[in-house]
Amino acid sequence: MGLKTLTAEQKLALTKLRESLGGISEEKRQAQKHLLTARKGILKLLESQPATVPQIAVALQMPADEALWHVTGMRKYGKLIEAGEDGDYLLYALAPKEEKADSAH
Amino acid sequence: MNTAIDSSYSPDVVVIGGGIAGLQSALDLADQGMSVLVVERNASIGGHMIELSKVFPTLDCASCITTPKMSAAAHHPNIQILTYTEVEAIESIEEHHVVRLLQKPTYVNFDKCIGCRLCEYACDTEYPDPFEQGLGSVRAIAVPFTNAIPQKAVLDAEHCGTCGTCARVCPTGAIEFDQQPRRLSIHTDAVILATGFQLNAVTIKPQYHASLSRDIISPLTLERLLAPHGPYGRVLRPSDGKIPSSVAFVQCAGSRDESIGVPYCSRVCCMYAIKQAMLLSGALPLADITIYYMDIRAFGKGYEQFYQNAKAMGINFVRGKVARIQPVDGSDLSVLVETTEDAENPMQEHRHDLVVLAQGMVPGWNPKGIVNADCAGDGFVATPQLTAPTATTAPGIFVAGAAAGPKDIVDSIAEAGAAAMQVSEYLYQKRSLTTVG
Repeated sequence: MGLKTLTAEQKLALTKLRESLGGISEEKRQAQKHLLTARKGILKLLESQPATVPQIAVALQMPADEALWHVTGMRKYGKLIEAGEDGDYLLYALAPKEEKADSAH
Repeated sequence: MNTAIDSSYSPDVVVIGGGIAGLQSALDLADQGMSVLVVERNASIGGHMIELSKVFPTLDCASCITTPKMSAAAHHPNIQILTYTEVEAIESIEEHHVVRLLQKPTYVNFDKCIGCRLCEYACDTEYPDPFEQGLGSVRAIAVPFTNAIPQKAVLDAEHCGTCGTCARVCPTGAIEFDQQPRRLSIHTDAVILATGFQLNAVTIKPQYHASLSRDIISPLTLERLLAPHGPYGRVLRPSDGKIPSSVAFVQCAGSRDESIGVPYCSRVCCMYAIKQAMLLSGALPLADITIYYMDIRAFGKGYEQFYQNAKAMGINFVRGKVARIQPVDGSDLSVLVETTEDAENPMQEHRHDLVVLAQGMVPGWNPKGIVNADCAGDGFVATPQLTAPTATTAPGIFVAGAAAGPKDIVDSIAEAGAAAMQVSEYLYQKRSLTTVG
């Protein structure tokens, strides 16, 4: 579905909501930047071959629990799929392009 | 936001809490022809039960029991539901009650939202999903969970980046950034408190070092790991995604201990631990599963047989008290237990991948300053009358389910039915007197 343009009323309401929240804090901005960077890094890493959570964590220099959290979210929203096991760990791979559905739901 | 209800609405009964007890009370009253308003603080009704994988001792799917009740309540002509709504006060004047409510903004017009989730798919902000106990992620605008009722998106302003993408993709124009909190005053003749329970923190006992490891988890976290639609789709260790080969349950980890302010037994931990152990043995056939316990309290109908079945399945029951849990090299957890089963070697250390702490059940809501009903010494709503077990100390205010004390689902539902009958009798007598007078 294409993106609609916000109406003047919606833009005004959005501005007021942003102001009521005290603006976008630097902490929130950094958290979002970190999220997008991590997700992009995982997608790039998995382009070559599937990987386990510890392998992703080592490659992207992030804690393993954080790597698992990202993988879980990306799987939920159709970006990744399970691709077998490697020892005690699951392998994750990029979802085929057409598989955009919410696989966890 | 549901704006169909305003302060002119005056139901016969207001039920506080949309968990299984509240819904059962509401359905029983509504089936008798009474008008009922259910007030739920979360974005969906269902309470804790909708978070569970299966129930003991039948191992029935919890969602398969809860979802029809949720749906029945949502579609009942005599029941209205307000979600995302907090109770600010319940003022009682001569057995008449005014329930003052604060409905939080969802920033979504529920009359227009069709639950298509296009806004959720378009949003690029994610945060730890509270429904998944933080294990999974959810977007800043989302339908709360798969079988949530209402099946409407809710925008979490705290996490929203205010980019406006949700409004740009919404096919029905349901996003309303200018929604404000709404206050309502609902007049009613009776109130049922069905505010449920919460678990005390996994960190309540410092000797278990839960703050040092993601793999020391609460039983509700394990419920999500075991649920078919859980965050990982299977049971994995939260610290690194390892398929666990050894899982331990530590019983009485948050109950029966005066030092943490919970001297009572939480009544359900033995049974849910046995249930979870059985489910784990199915999900992880090669894993060793151990339950460290002081005594097993299998008091309900069919519960003892359930316990015996678990032993026959190979679940390892070790009688003793866990003294310490410590993360050690290789992400393992060292469990030091003083057992009564080996007189020569009572202090034993075992290694596990995952440890589940049986936390204590504590009240889910503190009524102090909000409603004129007393609490007992344990913090749960007091029910002083032996012959009216759901009546509180305030006339016209009743209680059902775990709000009155720790209890399992079967007992919560039975008590909810009892509360509905007591309310029905109370209103009949009150209105008869009014008519005669």
